Amino acid sequence: MRSGARTRVIFWVFALAVLTFIYVPLGVVAINSFNSDRTFGWPPPGLTTRWWSAALKAPGPRDALRTSVEAGLGATAIALVLGSLLSLALVRYRFFGRNAISLLVILPIALPGIVTGIALQSVIQNVLNPVFGINAGLFTIIVGHATFCIVVIFNNVTARLRRMGGSLESASADLGARPFTTFRLVTFPLLRTAVIAGALLAFALSFDEIVVTTFTAGPGTPTLPIWIFNNLFRPTQAPVVNVVAVILVAVSILPVWLAQRLSGAEAAESRL
Amino acid sequence: MGSKRALVALLTPPMLWLLVAYLGALAAIFATAFFTTDPFTNEVVRTFTTENFEALLSPTYLRIIGRTLFIAVTVTVLCIVIAVPFAYFMAQVAPRRLRHLLVAGVLVPLWASYLIKAYAWRTMVQPGGVLESTFGTTPGYGFAAVILTLTYLWLPYMILPVYAGFERLPTSHLEASADLGAKGIYTFRRVILPALLPSIAAGTVFTFSLSLGDYIAVQIVGGTLQVLGTTVLQNITLDLPFAAALGTTSVVIMVCYLIAVGRTGALDNL
Repeated sequence: MRSGARTRVIFWVFALAVLTFIYVPLGVVAINSFNSDRTFGWPPPGLTTRWWSAALKAPGPRDALRTSVEAGLGATAIALVLGSLLSLALVRYRFFGRNAISLLVILPIALPGIVTGIALQSVIQNVLNPVFGINAGLFTIIVGHATFCIVVIFNNVTARLRRMGGSLESASADLGARPFTTFRLVTFPLLRTAVIAGALLAFALSFDEIVVTTFTAGPGTPTLPIWIFNNLFRPTQAPVVNVVAVILVAVSILPVWLAQRLSGAEAAESRL
Repeated sequence: MGSKRALVALLTPPMLWLLVAYLGALAAIFATAFFTTDPFTNEVVRTFTTENFEALLSPTYLRIIGRTLFIAVTVTVLCIVIAVPFAYFMAQVAPRRLRHLLVAGVLVPLWASYLIKAYAWRTMVQPGGVLESTFGTTPGYGFAAVILTLTYLWLPYMILPVYAGFERLPTSHLEASADLGAKGIYTFRRVILPALLPSIAAGTVFTFSLSLGDYIAVQIVGGTLQVLGTTVLQNITLDLPFAAALGTTSVVIMVCYLIAVGRTGALDNL
């Protein structure tokens, strides 16, 4: 469609307005982390780095950060194995129930998180705790996170497997390699960057999750998002919350950026 | 390709996990929706009853369900209205070399922490916050702030599929339409929109279902506003079966929506 100069100007103005809408709130949080006013009056009466040094010394966020990193690593490790296996099965084989399984994988991120959350919580209360003596804590956080991280790995590996086709593996088999040798020498090296990209994205997803975590984290092991949420409505903590918020955004963006570099633009869309 | 044994080996671990850790838990909570609680101890009593769902039909809860649906629909419509022209701009108007940058510009907010984005809007709408000091007025915490925040949160989920839809749309179709004398609006209505409908429908799956289940953002910017998600939360400790019934309702609404959208062929794009 040939659009006139005026239409183009309108589109540019509109697009700039949308980008402003997208970035201003995030920018405000970043600026507020330096706002010298305790109640965050706008515009800031002055700038200070006090909150940053206070936040970096506070034990609450630091412990929460450690929990978040541990949960992210644990969930990613489990999802990595399960998601890759599932992807290999679904791309390379045709079998009954295949479509149902590919739907099942996306359910954990498609259904409202609160439903997954109360479901897992009642399992913890009715099965894990009385039968196995497991309380809500790091372990249950990891189980919950792994469940919805599988889909990110699955999407990344599936996209790569489809693009690869099966001819290289067939060639390897024709040359006499056993399935495991083919996987080790042919399939895995080709999958590697997609697997790493998927892992980075799964970590980012886990690191930022709050809905399911609310129900699987015990009172003693808040993750960083949970810590922020718990302190969000406490005026005395507000300055520190802003600083932690900036850190959380930075840490959740960084893996995505790395994944993009590794595996191409569509990697970061595997959340859709 | 591999043998049946290899397939079983590949499938068993992930299926065990999904069936035990996920589907089992889900099934249990759906079953709980048909149980009741002991009024004195708040313990779940395992006797079959539909009273939880009957309670949902009371005016209070019908109003909450209606309000939640209204929010989800409004947010979805707003996301479409913003995303379609913006995605068109990304795909057709902006110079080619800017496109990567624009896609990255949408991906950053997609991955930037959900909680922080909701919190950011709290600082925007709070009394004395950015909106009030810039425009002289703010909607404050409540209904309008929830719609604004949810639109903001889910916008990237709409922009990206619609942008992909525009990318798939052959420029030749647009040129043919223009050569045949169609004005911009007419081309949009008769050529672009029909081709784009599956992408938009795919986007609405996210905007609609994420709005339907949300309770965190509602707590952060909604003040005392009640939606399905917040009522689930309030009932968990005292009346888990009723909370389960509320949660089941949102799942049922979502599944109905998914089936309706599935008919447009949009889910093939997911």
